[in-house]
Amino acid sequence: MASAIYFCDIKGRPLLSRKYRDDIPLTAIDKFASLLADLEEESSVIPPCLTYNNTQYLFIQHSDIYLVAITNLLRTNIAEVFAFLYKIIDVLGDYLKTVEEESIRDNYVIIYELLDELMDYGIPQITETKMLKQYITQKSFKLVKAAKKKQNAARPPSALTDSVSWRSEGIKYKKNEAFLDIVESINMLMTQKGQILRSEILGVVKIKSRLSGMPDLKLGINDKGIFSKQLTEDDTNNNATSKKQNKIELEDLKFHQCVRLSKFETEKIITFIPPDGDFELMNYRLSTSIKPLIWCDMNVQVHSNSRIEIHCRAKAQIKKKSTATNVEILIPVPEDADTPNFKYSHGSIKWVPEKSAILWKIRSFPGGKEYSMAAELCLPSTSSKSEEVQNKKPVQVKFQIPYFTTSGIQVRYLKINEPKLQYKSYPWVRYITQSGDDYTIRLI
Amino acid sequence: MSDQRVFARYRANEIRLDLQNVDIKKFKSGTTKKKNALRKIIVNLTLGNYNEMIDLLPEILKFWQIEDDLEVRRICHEYTRSVGSMKPKLTDEILPFVLKDLRSKNENLQIMALRTLIFVPSPPFTSEAFKFLMSLINHRSDSIELTRTAIYSLVQMDDFDHARISGLLEILLDIVSQSSEEPTIQIAALNTIYAIHEKHQDMKPLGISIDTCFNLLSLLPNLNEWDKGLLLEALPASVVPQTHDDVFDMIDIVLPQLQHVNMLVVLNTLKFIVYLLNYVDRINETLVKRLSSSIVALLNKPPELEFLLLRNVILLLLSRQTPLLEFDVSYFFVEYYDPIYIKDTKLECLYLLANSENLPQILDELEQYATDIDIQMSRKAIRAIGNLAVKLDDNAATECVHILLHLLEFGVDYVVQEIISVLRNILRKYPNKFKSNIREIVEYTDSVQEPESKNAMLWIITQYSDILPNYMSIFQNLTSSLLEEPLEVQFSILNSSVKFFARSPSAETKNQCMGIIQLCINEIDNPDLRNRALMYDRLIAVSGNIGVTNPGISILQTIVDGKLPVIELNSKLDPMVLEELELNMSSITSVYLKPTSQIFRGNRTKLLPQSPILVTDREALKITNYKGLKNKGDSSTKGMPKRTATMSDYDKPAEKVNQLKGKRKSTLNGPSKLARKPSMLMRRLSMKNPF
Repeated sequence: MASAIYFCDIKGRPLLSRKYRDDIPLTAIDKFASLLADLEEESSVIPPCLTYNNTQYLFIQHSDIYLVAITNLLRTNIAEVFAFLYKIIDVLGDYLKTVEEESIRDNYVIIYELLDELMDYGIPQITETKMLKQYITQKSFKLVKAAKKKQNAARPPSALTDSVSWRSEGIKYKKNEAFLDIVESINMLMTQKGQILRSEILGVVKIKSRLSGMPDLKLGINDKGIFSKQLTEDDTNNNATSKKQNKIELEDLKFHQCVRLSKFETEKIITFIPPDGDFELMNYRLSTSIKPLIWCDMNVQVHSNSRIEIHCRAKAQIKKKSTATNVEILIPVPEDADTPNFKYSHGSIKWVPEKSAILWKIRSFPGGKEYSMAAELCLPSTSSKSEEVQNKKPVQVKFQIPYFTTSGIQVRYLKINEPKLQYKSYPWVRYITQSGDDYTIRLI
Repeated sequence: MSDQRVFARYRANEIRLDLQNVDIKKFKSGTTKKKNALRKIIVNLTLGNYNEMIDLLPEILKFWQIEDDLEVRRICHEYTRSVGSMKPKLTDEILPFVLKDLRSKNENLQIMALRTLIFVPSPPFTSEAFKFLMSLINHRSDSIELTRTAIYSLVQMDDFDHARISGLLEILLDIVSQSSEEPTIQIAALNTIYAIHEKHQDMKPLGISIDTCFNLLSLLPNLNEWDKGLLLEALPASVVPQTHDDVFDMIDIVLPQLQHVNMLVVLNTLKFIVYLLNYVDRINETLVKRLSSSIVALLNKPPELEFLLLRNVILLLLSRQTPLLEFDVSYFFVEYYDPIYIKDTKLECLYLLANSENLPQILDELEQYATDIDIQMSRKAIRAIGNLAVKLDDNAATECVHILLHLLEFGVDYVVQEIISVLRNILRKYPNKFKSNIREIVEYTDSVQEPESKNAMLWIITQYSDILPNYMSIFQNLTSSLLEEPLEVQFSILNSSVKFFARSPSAETKNQCMGIIQLCINEIDNPDLRNRALMYDRLIAVSGNIGVTNPGISILQTIVDGKLPVIELNSKLDPMVLEELELNMSSITSVYLKPTSQIFRGNRTKLLPQSPILVTDREALKITNYKGLKNKGDSSTKGMPKRTATMSDYDKPAEKVNQLKGKRKSTLNGPSKLARKPSMLMRRLSMKNPF
């Protein structure tokens, strides 16, 4: 139950606003900027909920703007507010591509109209971009067309409250296709010696649907994957497999609102009527221990007041057939280091002073190969900080491995059935494994 | 867009000029320019340029008459709302235009007009709004959108005239319970009733019958994500289950929603389940697992959502002796790039999750954080280690102290301050366990600087003076700057000096003690401190001569140096407060973890409604596993579908769903038994071969 939504710039000054309920003073938002400033001065902790004078400021940050919801009702569900604010960012992203101060100013009016449709008396309404587009374009607003080409110009408008609120009727494509991407992101925290502290697989099944009518889709996933509670591992990991826990938490699955959850609950079948265009069908998470796909052995020696030595051995622990691409290893170095000197067998290394780090890039890293590098940087002779307060930034590793999933999940079939049109359709499937946001090696 | 920037401050005259200019020019290019000019008005209203913009009212009215473009209308309505809430008097001349829109055939225009009517706080607007709403609710409109907007708007109207709205509540309740209605309308009605009940403390809490509740729950699959959230928001405390069977059925129905991607749905499902668990006779282990893993899966949400989630995790962890959640602690390890508020909250979770099994793992992490570059974080981690030692048993304390002493060796300034402060608490809990380490600790006497750590150090030295041969010299060292110390340290010094005297009365200790007392009396202005010093002065005078055998001294000893009670960390919340917080999960109160009534007045305190099956003693409620339960009370039914089927059956769940269907139907309109047969077959098949 938000009373008003504000877009604010980086300092907290309002850019654009929409009031939904008449129970907060117009001036409430003016306090937001000073509240932010005060907090920043006091400490670095700025929680996303602030209270001042019985008014609650709930906000999220996105690029250079704040999205603030104001309310004075304590029973306001924050989950609703935050989920909604992020939804706004999503929707605007679809309309404007980038959501930042400049684009907000430029597209002032369309945002206005969207805010009108997205929420009613502080209660979220329709938030599916595809549905909104048909609704907002009705009002012949030009930017919409500019932002994204419209494919079905002559689509008849239908009530927004159909039983399938995320898909409108009468969608038509010449060629009916569905593209399915399975992307697994690996998050891992390792010690310098290669010992694993934490690892998880975050998987997303993304679908781009270009299908006519109201198709009913059924997705089958290999039983050796998630559903039979067994992991298939690639050859190199055979030894480890036996030790691994075979049970995978089914409950970690999260589905898009189009999936019939009760059907999944009872029969373990994923069936759905997809929204048109791109969406995330489901995401899952596995916390089984996995072998690091890109394994690093780091050795950092600091000779205080003179130089720092870094040795790194990296190994691609994947099938011989697979290749990791765009591998990037970002190793932090002290801020005051300079005059770098590198030795390396593959890829390229550069010193990135603005991040205080060196970046080792390897474009293609075939499975089973091991590469190494050594770097030496000079340190100033006068050191100000004591050694305990050294840089604790972790080493970050990024990579992509196409045609490969770590969990072994595979699509068995994607059945597409449109009861009325009965057309032929083509499902496409693609797999990729990549590093998550947090594939890091902790330096001691 | 155009030659002029839309997003800038303008004067009324400039915009008026824009609007007039285009009238002369060609029609087509004119429209865009006009629109741009109108947009400028809205921008300026947002920028707070009200006084200028109010002058443009005649222009707006002119456009209202001649343009029927929806966007222009939208701007006109927006203008009315902004101006109306500032200067309600001005809007009277707009009213006819709004009413014209309201009677138009266009659904969008009608909605817009209705919103404007309700938004402007002026009596003519409000009474028109009432008129329209009454007629709409009595003779329903075909437009779902309009009906829904109207129903939601009743909450706002309630502010104007509560009595009139109360009369409508019956109609709304009818809408809620009529399954012939459009689901989204039912939810809108439910939500409106709920909101109005929440607003008025004098009203009885909302009550929903069990049948209606099952009907509403059966809508779940057809609702969009927000409506799902709203439904689950309104149910806790409104539905009062009367039998255990009902409770388990409800849990079964909502359980799949835990897999929804929208956090609102998941948290509200969680809230509903947690609420229902107050009315059960047992909790199944698998349910605990499901709740826990649904939470873990949400930890990857953006930081703001993660923060809210973590706060609610804390609440759930606090709520029972054996918590409803089981986690692997590693999910709560702090990541380098986490915002600080997340780090903070994760630390709290780690602290609450700690037990003797996972302690080594947690301590390893905390030790890492203690050497973190961020000072606040490092202090908090140390504080957490110290608190863990006090919270857990003495084996744990040994490990904690070991780590603290290890950290102490680094000698970083703020780390030392924090460690000394927490060590005092540990020593108070385990007075005799760490005697051998006291000397090591006391070596840091010179590095303590902050009042709290100084106090702690003074306390340690005083308490363990018997094993410190040179305690006198250390103490004198600390007291040398008595007059410059902050008040709390002065108190400690005074107390310690008297304690020393009471413990070993000698000329030396007496001199020192009297010296400090005199200083406090003569040199320091604080009346409390002076009073305390005077009291000690008299006490010592009364106790008489120096000599251990002197009875006066032993009395003095018992007064100033008595036995200290064992301390305990109180992390438990008052059960009443907990009850309220649980019912307010995922609301603002859950972030502050304080009861609504305590910090914010004028809010209804939520309480668990009474029911014959309300659990009175939570701790007696056991979390059981599935085997022991399955045939509880009646072992002959071996696996046959029972109404009280437990959570763990979800690998053969078709049974249960069918059961429910049967039940719901029987409460509705005659059961259709035929439907059951084929699905029995289906179930068999699906059990053997899930795919």
